[in-house]
Amino acid sequence: MRSALERLALVILLLLAVSLLTFAAMNLLGDPLFNILGPVAGDTENPESLAKIEAAKEQYYLDRPFFERWLRWLGDFVRGDFGVRFASDGQPPVTDLIGERLPRSLLLMVMAQAMAVVIAIPWGIAAASRANKPVDKISTFSSFLLVSLPGFALGLLLKFVFSIKLGWFPLAYNAGNPWTERLHAFVLPALTLALPAAAVYQRLLRTDLITTLQEDFILMARAKGVKRRSVLFRHALRPSMFSMITVFGINAGALIGGALIVETIFEIPGLGRAIVEAILREDFPVVLAIVMIVATAFVVLNFLVDLFYSLLDPRVRT
Amino acid sequence: MTAVDEPRGPDVTIEAAEGTVAEKKLGWGFWLAIAWLVLIIGLAALAPWLPLKDPDANFVDIQGKGRPPYSPSGDHWMGTDQDARDMFSRIIYGARVSLVVGFAAVAFGFVIGGTIGLVGGFVRGWFDRLSSFVMIVLLSFPALILAILITSLMERSLFTIALTLGILSIAPVSRLARSASLVFSEREFVTAARAMGAKPSHIMIRELLPNVLIPMSALALLGTAVAIVAEGGLAFLGLSVEKGSTWGKLILIGADSRTLENSPWVSFGPILALFLTVMALNYAGDRLRDYFDVRELAL
Repeated sequence: MRSALERLALVILLLLAVSLLTFAAMNLLGDPLFNILGPVAGDTENPESLAKIEAAKEQYYLDRPFFERWLRWLGDFVRGDFGVRFASDGQPPVTDLIGERLPRSLLLMVMAQAMAVVIAIPWGIAAASRANKPVDKISTFSSFLLVSLPGFALGLLLKFVFSIKLGWFPLAYNAGNPWTERLHAFVLPALTLALPAAAVYQRLLRTDLITTLQEDFILMARAKGVKRRSVLFRHALRPSMFSMITVFGINAGALIGGALIVETIFEIPGLGRAIVEAILREDFPVVLAIVMIVATAFVVLNFLVDLFYSLLDPRVRT
Repeated sequence: MTAVDEPRGPDVTIEAAEGTVAEKKLGWGFWLAIAWLVLIIGLAALAPWLPLKDPDANFVDIQGKGRPPYSPSGDHWMGTDQDARDMFSRIIYGARVSLVVGFAAVAFGFVIGGTIGLVGGFVRGWFDRLSSFVMIVLLSFPALILAILITSLMERSLFTIALTLGILSIAPVSRLARSASLVFSEREFVTAARAMGAKPSHIMIRELLPNVLIPMSALALLGTAVAIVAEGGLAFLGLSVEKGSTWGKLILIGADSRTLENSPWVSFGPILALFLTVMALNYAGDRLRDYFDVRELAL
């Protein structure tokens, strides 16, 4: 338990460091005042512009020392207020924007993980039960191809075949559609994320299954006359899922990065699109909020996986 | 172990011997992958001296072929893009940037991360603890987000993109170098060198480095593949090199729904080049890893 607390402290320290680093980078490398006001920011001669500059500095706390601004921002962030955008009117607030975009990215990742597992289990079983036979060799080769195909390339290929040529899926996401159609538009992007993940899960499941299938209790079950299929699904599958579950957790963090790119290809207005748009407009509060949300999710997920792992396997406890 | 204790001994030894012989072959697939890599690197390096079409010239031919993009033909092997620029030479020229970014990033990660890992694994103590902690911090940050953050704030030149991806490769490289260095530091030849009074720097460079470098050559190939793909990902977010074209940027030009529908070759050409290169790097890296029997390898 003590090591879990230590790890939690490390997580919090890490997030503080990330936020300080991000905040500092944006304020030192960027020019917040220019981002808010545009060309007016440089015009200190004109009293009208000067008044605008003073008002903006007051409103965005730009006249305060750096450290105070960081603490102020951090305090607001922890309470769920992500501040105002760097725009002349600061509308809509960053929190509203995130609230609109985050659920879509989250749904995309949940769908992707579910699809990956649904694909990986029968695939892994098929490969392991015919280990080193032609089926297994083809499966090894195709999973190697999938892993070598970058996510954006796979996304484009799927879009070309299933949306453009076959017309099974819509070309773009439309927020005004009923939820069934919106879900329909999520299938291909989720599949783009799921296929390479499934290839990895399948390999792990196959390796563990081959080991399990050599155990005595499998021989026992077969000797009792249990059907082959039933042995595979009922007896062998569960004790062979350990590595897969671990990587499943680690991959949840890695998928976040992939989701940002896949959203761009399938024109889904999620967090990925939001961060790209914000970078182009140099709307740093939005970038900062998204970086922090993703980093937090990533770090917390890894922490939970570690915790879960040590609960499952006592050997890992230290 | 005598033959009396282990009646099946000889069979086992023969099997084991055969196993090692089989493992020690790289196979024709490996050499095919290397051949592709040599070809693409050669084309990219020699591009200005090869009889290629100018990658930036517009071959518009309204009377003959109508509006661009033109489909693949004898004249334009891989077709042209929307501005009637020859895709084949654009892909070759794009390889120059993509490959340089990939190799430079990995080289940077290897020099910095490899040195830290090697020294950490050898000297242990506070330096090892401190560097290990820094690596944990680096590893627990989502790589793409860090890349987005850096590239969005800096001028995006070839150098800064390669540097960004290089920084991201420091942590995994350092981890492998450290574990390899830890293992080899315990070996007899290091003890012997110490007993003969060799300086630590001499042991690290002359005894440890050659041994650590061999298993890491596999990681170099896999890392280059990761860096090339990462550059493509950044290109999709509009965060790649500003000047010049890379494979990622070429794919992006053909990625919108209308271009994809009417002229898929605009994005599929560079996708094919990228896919074959990444596959060759991955396959060669995998084979090398098996060949040198590196177990602790994770990227």
